Amino acid sequence: MSNRFESLLERLAGLSVLDRIVISLAALLAAVLVGGVLVFVSGAFASCRSGLQLGGTTFCYNPMQVYYELFLGALGHPLEGGWSLTNYSLGRTLQQTTLLIFAGLSVAVAFRAGLLNIGTQGQLVVGGLATAVTVVYAASIVPGGFVGTVVLIPLGVLAGAVGGGLYGAIPGALKAYADANEVITTIMLNIIAAGITSTLLSWQFQDPDSSNPETRPVPEYAEIPNIPVIGFEEVNFSLLALAFAVVLMIGMAWLLARTSFGYELRTSGEQPGAAAYGGVDEKRMTVASMTLSGALGGIGGAFWVLMVHGQWLENVPSLGFDGIAVSVLAGNSPIGVGAAAFLFGVFQSGSQSISTATSVPKELVGVLTGLIILFVAMPEFFRLIGRRYVAPGTTEPVRTDGGDPAVDDGGDGDA
Amino acid sequence: MVQNRRRFLEGASAVGLAGIAGCVGGFGDEGDAAYQVGMVYATGGTGDDSFNDMAQQGARDARDEFDLSFDETEPDNEGQFEGAQRDFAESGDYDLINCIGYAQAGALSENAPDYPDQNFIIVDEVVEEDNVRSYTFGEPEGSFQVGHLAGLLTDREFAAGAGETNPDASTVGFVGGTETPLIQSFEAGFRAGVEYANDDAEVVSSYVGDFNDTGQGQSTARSMYQNNDADIVFHAAGRTGIGVFQAAQDEGRFALGVDDDQSLSNESFADVILASMVKRVDSAVYNAIESVVNGNFEGGESETLGLEEDGVGAVYGDQLGDEIPQEIKDQLEESRQAIIDGEISVPSEL
Repeated sequence: MSNRFESLLERLAGLSVLDRIVISLAALLAAVLVGGVLVFVSGAFASCRSGLQLGGTTFCYNPMQVYYELFLGALGHPLEGGWSLTNYSLGRTLQQTTLLIFAGLSVAVAFRAGLLNIGTQGQLVVGGLATAVTVVYAASIVPGGFVGTVVLIPLGVLAGAVGGGLYGAIPGALKAYADANEVITTIMLNIIAAGITSTLLSWQFQDPDSSNPETRPVPEYAEIPNIPVIGFEEVNFSLLALAFAVVLMIGMAWLLARTSFGYELRTSGEQPGAAAYGGVDEKRMTVASMTLSGALGGIGGAFWVLMVHGQWLENVPSLGFDGIAVSVLAGNSPIGVGAAAFLFGVFQSGSQSISTATSVPKELVGVLTGLIILFVAMPEFFRLIGRRYVAPGTTEPVRTDGGDPAVDDGGDGDA
Repeated sequence: MVQNRRRFLEGASAVGLAGIAGCVGGFGDEGDAAYQVGMVYATGGTGDDSFNDMAQQGARDARDEFDLSFDETEPDNEGQFEGAQRDFAESGDYDLINCIGYAQAGALSENAPDYPDQNFIIVDEVVEEDNVRSYTFGEPEGSFQVGHLAGLLTDREFAAGAGETNPDASTVGFVGGTETPLIQSFEAGFRAGVEYANDDAEVVSSYVGDFNDTGQGQSTARSMYQNNDADIVFHAAGRTGIGVFQAAQDEGRFALGVDDDQSLSNESFADVILASMVKRVDSAVYNAIESVVNGNFEGGESETLGLEEDGVGAVYGDQLGDEIPQEIKDQLEESRQAIIDGEISVPSEL
């Protein structure tokens, strides 16, 4: 039995990219089937005007319609007439995608260093507040207009990165120097982040003109601008922000695969003993990777402030927690984070389409998207475990075996 | 095994076929009514036995009356209001979008100018846009009424249901949700009402900081009953107020409900709820929908529903109402008329 399990793990660990895509699609299909039955049956317990009469029971929810809205509604119904690429729903989808790329990258980088950063949410909350406060105060010094845009946005993003990075460094330092489990400290620091920011808000930064708990809005020119002509005017989404997220994503992939820092980070995660033997300062590496992870989360907070709301709100959506799911789904690969973030963006936006187009309750929609994530993530999840316990050796030969050096290159020379 | 598989396939294809048939038949679509209305609720959502449920009731009443269907969204936090309003507005299918709750004002002032042909209403706050009609309520007036009741009762020896007053002390309490101008206006009216009834009565007040924290509501009210000898506590705190009722039951004292007749919506506490300060959110929603159906919706205006319009008022508890002495009810009726006639002016700020 245990042998069979091990061989299964081995097989999963050694799957090629194509295999993984096929498995993911099959899992998606299975999740849609299970979810469809669930929606259909739930419809029997709801009341509606027009339902499907079947054997004396009225079924209110149409699973086909629900999934149609979930996937195509998120893209703005491309099969119906009058579709344009820059439609509102797609903008909403890409807005979520952009934010989730940052959150997903944050979790992925820490995971690659062997650290489970559950604290992206807290780092994002702190980073977002740092951004909003910095920009609001800097706006009184910096001239407005184009100069303001060019100065304030990078400044705001930097403030978010610094705020999130410092906040991420805390659990890193606790792990490195006090041997505190980072899962527990990051979870606790999430709660502390919410408490501290809320206190700071009511103490100093609350917008006096608003009855909602929120900071003063940043000036309009400090919000991330849209590219004129192309569109997405009616939704708080900027292609520039998405482009930045994609560049950052590629940058992270490059950092991990092609630099000595990335090599040290990965070896610390996969073979801590070997890394230490190779001269990696383990403690410094832990702090550095958590700082980098926190900074990415903080940048997510910065974009949430500067792109979506133009101010920091006390109720921050759970982007950081979704980032964990995005990262797991992506197998902690920075490029995969982009695809997984898009899938999550589709779910978020599609859920909105469902709630306006049908009477299916949002809790049920949450179950449907949860099912898809569960089904799709399960093989990925086992693959990750598999890689921990069995060496996938045969499929990815290392250089000494005469394999392609590009596959697992890195700082052999530096390490 | 083969049998099982066949049975599964038959079952699966039956469901599949039903799904396809449904798609062609378009079931699940409720878009065939002549009028469509979108509802964006306040955070807390429906099922709060109070504010949001009242708004939903208004839409339901309208659906019973007119050829109407309504779609709803329940944002989880303030950050989602803007998107939720836009989702409805962007589709262009809705004759009216009802924004329930003051917290949506900021989002609506941003959205309304972008959709000049879309009719909106907002409840509890004023948004000055040509396509928005604002409904506010005379909360201080209604709170004055229940304050008047509390001030009259706290001095007497009065026992009914599960509660009794403490004749040795004349203290009443107020528990608020968040310390915002709207909730403070409840307190202002309540204090004025108590003072009007009884110069010597003391009002203790506390803000929990949350509309959804029953435990905190309970401990706050309990300390008022125990430490301050309060015998009647009024709450304007949403679900937090349920804790006030629990405390009243534990201590054998009285409480006053808010927004709807809470002795009916929270029946298990009917033996301690003397009265409720109702806000007829349902009539605001209903009236707005009716005006859209009749083609005389007027945006850009704000309407305050006070005592005179029956937008607010004191409604006696379902169980305890009959036991409140008639002379007190008469005095309340007098002060109600005096407020309507302008003889009493009720402050709206502390």
